[in-house]
Amino acid sequence: MRGKSRFLALTMILLLVMSQLGSALAQDSVTIEWWSVAGNELPQEAQEAIVTAFEAEHPDIQVNLTILPESGYDERMTTTLGAGEGAPDVALFWNANWYAQTLDLTPYLEADPDLSPEDYFENFWINWATWGDKVVGLPLGVGANFVMYNKAVFDEAGVDYPTADWTPEEYIEVAKAVTDTEVRRWGGDRPRGPYRAIWMNYGAFPYSDDSTMVDGYFNSEASIAAYEWLWDLVDSGATPTPADIEILGTEGTGPIDLFLAGRLAMATLNQGHMLIAVDEGVDFGIVPEPGFVDSQRFVNAWSLTASIWSGTENPDEAYEFLSFFAGPEGQRILMEQGTLFPALPAVLDEYENADTDYAQAFFSVLEDTQVAEWTAGHPCWRGAVIRSVQDVWDLINLGEISRDEVTTTINDYIDEAQASLEECTPRLGG
Amino acid sequence: MNQTNPALAQPAHNKRKNNDGIDWQRVQRWVGTALVYVLMTTLALIFMIPLLWMLSTSLKTRPEIFAWPPEWVPAVPQWGNYADAFNSYPLGRFMANSMILVIGNTIGELVSVPLIAYAFARLRFPGKSILFVLMLSPMMIPGHIRLIPLYSAYLRLDMVGTYWPLILPSFFGNPFFIFLMVQYMRTIPRDLDEAARIDGAGTWTILYRIILPLCIPALTIIVVFTFLWTWNDFLQPLIYLSDFETYPISVGLAFFQGRYSVEWNMFMAATLISILPILVLYFFAQKQLIGGLSTLGLKG
Repeated sequence: MRGKSRFLALTMILLLVMSQLGSALAQDSVTIEWWSVAGNELPQEAQEAIVTAFEAEHPDIQVNLTILPESGYDERMTTTLGAGEGAPDVALFWNANWYAQTLDLTPYLEADPDLSPEDYFENFWINWATWGDKVVGLPLGVGANFVMYNKAVFDEAGVDYPTADWTPEEYIEVAKAVTDTEVRRWGGDRPRGPYRAIWMNYGAFPYSDDSTMVDGYFNSEASIAAYEWLWDLVDSGATPTPADIEILGTEGTGPIDLFLAGRLAMATLNQGHMLIAVDEGVDFGIVPEPGFVDSQRFVNAWSLTASIWSGTENPDEAYEFLSFFAGPEGQRILMEQGTLFPALPAVLDEYENADTDYAQAFFSVLEDTQVAEWTAGHPCWRGAVIRSVQDVWDLINLGEISRDEVTTTINDYIDEAQASLEECTPRLGG
Repeated sequence: MNQTNPALAQPAHNKRKNNDGIDWQRVQRWVGTALVYVLMTTLALIFMIPLLWMLSTSLKTRPEIFAWPPEWVPAVPQWGNYADAFNSYPLGRFMANSMILVIGNTIGELVSVPLIAYAFARLRFPGKSILFVLMLSPMMIPGHIRLIPLYSAYLRLDMVGTYWPLILPSFFGNPFFIFLMVQYMRTIPRDLDEAARIDGAGTWTILYRIILPLCIPALTIIVVFTFLWTWNDFLQPLIYLSDFETYPISVGLAFFQGRYSVEWNMFMAATLISILPILVLYFFAQKQLIGGLSTLGLKG
């Protein structure tokens, strides 16, 4: 009986010690919340593989991955960031409006012996990882627009393939040559907004570098020439109308389905579309968006910004995970198991199809100057001036004004755009 | 003595038949009916075009979807798109999750709405009018405005990541349904309540034995609309759920919309499957639904 009591007492003490030990161990383990989306670039399986690899290297950190649909990600993030609580430790902060709630990574990068800004494409780092003096996140992958052309359609029409040194005027001529109204096939599509690559290639900017002057910029010769080029393109009948694109396009990211169906001979698409066309067996070529010889070439390019929420309770562990996720290990997994083109040149060099024409053509545009350098340069672009430049763009797209009226229409908007800029600049600084 | 004119006494159709051997009234009725059927069939076909196009798209290859001229029947039907859709995402699980939410919300609305509506329709208490207006006021506020405060509230209640934020509100009544039910109950004669009360029935008995059985059309509307709204609700589950395994079909379908493209064939296959429960519900409830709507329209 006495022996039994001793055994019972010993067992209880042992259990107590074990439970305390377990709870101490549990307290040492930190769980990081990570919100992401799933898709071709970022397949769920690849992201789970990143978690597994990370947890194997960091047994004291657990990662809870939440996969959200792409089309609802903004609403979820905006709600949680708006509430100021419940946001994830690490997430894709792809909306610049969220940058204010990111943790500045500068001290973490300075202390990190394995990762530095120099590891990333410089122009992607500047445009997608920094905001003012703050490092808002790490660039995850690279993306860019270029013109894809369907070789079979060109061959059928007996038209030469476009070359990288083509001009905007040549774009219209080629588009007209491959248009076939009988089979409802358009030669090319239209820019999906003003002041994108072609505007910049013309040397057109809507306002001065110091964000103070619209007159002389929005109505400069270069700007008017770019808008007149758009007018000529619309007038050529070689492109789908805005209504056609709205109905037949895909989520505003580019008319890939029309291109795959052979109804668009040329389309401004991106690296994701390029891989879809490869999968579908379409014989295509890639050229940069048209520009001018001996002048600066611009490209619409982007990256996903992966960031740490400033309200996180575990910033060190969150950085450990973020630097793994958006560092060489994570981007390599996403490249090999998904379709991500890494933002790290050293990892991109390992891309298995790097020698293909399409990959080389894509890599070449990554070095061009990014439109984002200008458009993301000052928040008043999106906040104020874009309304005026968009109005002119809309009037031309809808065929509401004649070519002769382009200059006067732009001039009519100068006062409004200037007033918007003057109201916006002091408010937002800069 | 009443004398009836034999010509007037003879039914009109007999008169016409007697004149030329053809029952013109019957012919007229048949033609009218045929015209109505032709019109209704044409309209039904027009309304079915999106559904048929969905079916057609779900069986096409990707380049076929946007080909010109459009083909209604694909060259080789791609039945594998349905298997691919199921293999891509756990659609069965998503639909089961939606059904849990539908059942929870339907129970919630059926429990809460009649109680609240009865109070507003039949009981007398101080501040009833003000409370009624207050109850209706959330209908005037766009749902998006409530998102952040509600999210904060549920976060503090530790309910984010569970189904509670998606089901619990239904147990407090939907203002639209309450309004509908109040209007409906007001059309039921009070004499019935009073007769029951004389017979010794209490408030609960009157509500459940007398009033509710007369409110079946309104209750059907509540069930059908709760089903539809819950099944199609995308935003609320998106905000409150985090575990992939708990997503309803409305959120699950969104995964077919990628960053750079939409896999339309699989998306349409998955969407067709997802609307089947709604079609089945409508098939069985259409009589009550149409009857209920017309009754509410007349009485409400």
